[in-house]
Amino acid sequence: MTKVLDNIRLYGSFLKTSLKEMLVYRLDCIVGMTSQMVTQAVEIIFIWIVFQNTENLAGWNFMQIMLLYGITLLSVGIADFCFDALYDIGPKYIREGDFDKILLRPVHPLLSIIGGSKEFTSLGYFLLGLIITIIMLVKLAIPITIFLILKIVFFSIVGALIIGGINTICSISSFWTYRSNEFIWSVYQIYTFAQYPIDIYNGFIKFLITVILPFAFVAYFPTMNYLGWDIYLIYLSPIVAIVLWIIAVKVWNLALNKYRSTGN
Amino acid sequence: MAIIEVENLVKTYKILQKQDGLIGYFKNLVRPKYKELTAVKGINFNIEEGELVGYIGENGAGKSTTIKMLTGLLTPTSGKIVVNGIVPYEKRIENNKSIGAVFGQKTQLWWDLPVIESFRLIKQMYKLPDGEYRKNLKKFTQILELEELLDKQVKNLSLGQKMRCEIAATFLHNPKIVYLDEPTIGLDVFVKENIRKFIKDINREKKTTVILTTHDLKDIEDVCNRIILLDQGEIIYDGDKQKFKDIYGKYVFAELVVSNKNGKLSDTITLNGCEIVEETEKSIKIKFNHEETTIMQILNTISNHCVVEDIHMREAELEDILKEIYKGAHKC
Ligand SMILES: Nc1ncnc2c1ncn2[C@@H]1O[C@H](COP(=O)(O)OP(=O)(O)O)[C@@H](O)[C@H]1O
Ligand SMILES: [Mg+2]
Repeated sequence: MTKVLDNIRLYGSFLKTSLKEMLVYRLDCIVGMTSQMVTQAVEIIFIWIVFQNTENLAGWNFMQIMLLYGITLLSVGIADFCFDALYDIGPKYIREGDFDKILLRPVHPLLSIIGGSKEFTSLGYFLLGLIITIIMLVKLAIPITIFLILKIVFFSIVGALIIGGINTICSISSFWTYRSNEFIWSVYQIYTFAQYPIDIYNGFIKFLITVILPFAFVAYFPTMNYLGWDIYLIYLSPIVAIVLWIIAVKVWNLALNKYRSTGN
Repeated sequence: MAIIEVENLVKTYKILQKQDGLIGYFKNLVRPKYKELTAVKGINFNIEEGELVGYIGENGAGKSTTIKMLTGLLTPTSGKIVVNGIVPYEKRIENNKSIGAVFGQKTQLWWDLPVIESFRLIKQMYKLPDGEYRKNLKKFTQILELEELLDKQVKNLSLGQKMRCEIAATFLHNPKIVYLDEPTIGLDVFVKENIRKFIKDINREKKTTVILTTHDLKDIEDVCNRIILLDQGEIIYDGDKQKFKDIYGKYVFAELVVSNKNGKLSDTITLNGCEIVEETEKSIKIKFNHEETTIMQILNTISNHCVVEDIHMREAELEDILKEIYKGAHKC
């Protein structure tokens, strides 16, 4: 238990460190955040156009879809902020030989890497998600109780952990290819399927985003709960997150051992 | 008990043989062909606490491979390593707590942060008590002259400044063993001397065991008391530095300044136990074995053919000795 606390404290220090690093690149950060928000705006317009021709999508109206969209952005924002460094493992750490340095530290390399750098521009997603969520909750006349706020905070973090777990599993490809960042990114993009009601998809995609890459547990099932449509599925999300991380750490260690025995 | 025990250590790399063309590409995927390269061929040694060991050998001898196995970065193909009671490649993180390592010019410091911030993070990672941290920081700052560097961002430091900070960071948590793989590469003489002094000081005070690989044999001459010499993955000498020089260093080098020389001496005369290394109109460089001949005998012969005006003599240095050994090793 003290070990867990130590690791959390260390993570906190890493976080403070990245904050200081970020202040070095203030302008880059602001530009990055703005452009992220603009890209999202394009997608929102796309959804809006779709709803010019139809009243609802598999029973969801425009505002409900937008709520799902906002809730997704909350988790995506947190996840991109926290786990961005996974993209660096192949192209930066392994290719440039900095990985050895990470392996020489007295902490698990995943903690060193994930803690090592933060993507502050992702807070743009988070901010946009927050704004959309609040507006939609009000418009949909969902009472904003303390309980609801706590739920949204908790499950947004859980959602970010699910995304992080999936990204971590994919980051194992770094041990075989320097271009692992592209692989992680492509798998990650499948999350966009879960920004829409899963009933619009065929069986394969449903299976894909609930079982193989359980992105539906990030925001889709939680939003169903906030809308009062399905009370229980949301509570599977933390279990999904825990199972994913157990698998992630296990396979990561296996891959690392393989890597250390070949030496390239 | 020795702090590092190495027994029959072997590392064989498997190197993927690239096959050409589109068909070759698919062959690579389906049935990859590997070539094996044994970089370390069953070596043995023990190192006691507090020793300063120079681990030397030519490029590709297997020095870095050995150090990567000692630090747990690589798993051996076979053999056994015990460092401080731990098998490093099985309990890597545990092992990391009591070691420090520098690999070439790679830095463990945080690029965008002031140096002192990196030191603070290291302190926290290794759970170094406040008192120890302050004591070390003060001492290291003084020996390595870091005063002005601590508040600068790492990316703004010169190579010499960065390496001094890097060395400080490596010793900061009081490691029992420090591995330095070519730490002085590319540094100027002053920085090198500074770093050597630091290593010796810390070793004297804390009994830190140091294993050093370098191409600058002055580093070894100055810092180490034991030499392990590696050649193509095998140890060909392991022992005291002075003894090494006694066994192999029978040579004395001399440069003669001459005049009135007729033709090439190396064509006209033969000298027992002496070899003419280089010869010009005005100077002759010779190398002789002082057990077989003396400078007087050599001068007697040479002065029949020219006028010797001046002589400079020096004993064989580590570098000369190694050149001799490699020449021998590669002949057979
Ligand atoms: N990751 C690797 N994969 C394949 N061969 C390697 C690898 N690392 C080193 N080698 C080979 O092993 C031999 C020893 O290398 P190394 O230990 O780096 O030598 P040194 O540090 O003494 O220069 C060399 O022939 C080198 O080409
Ligand atoms: Mg090397």
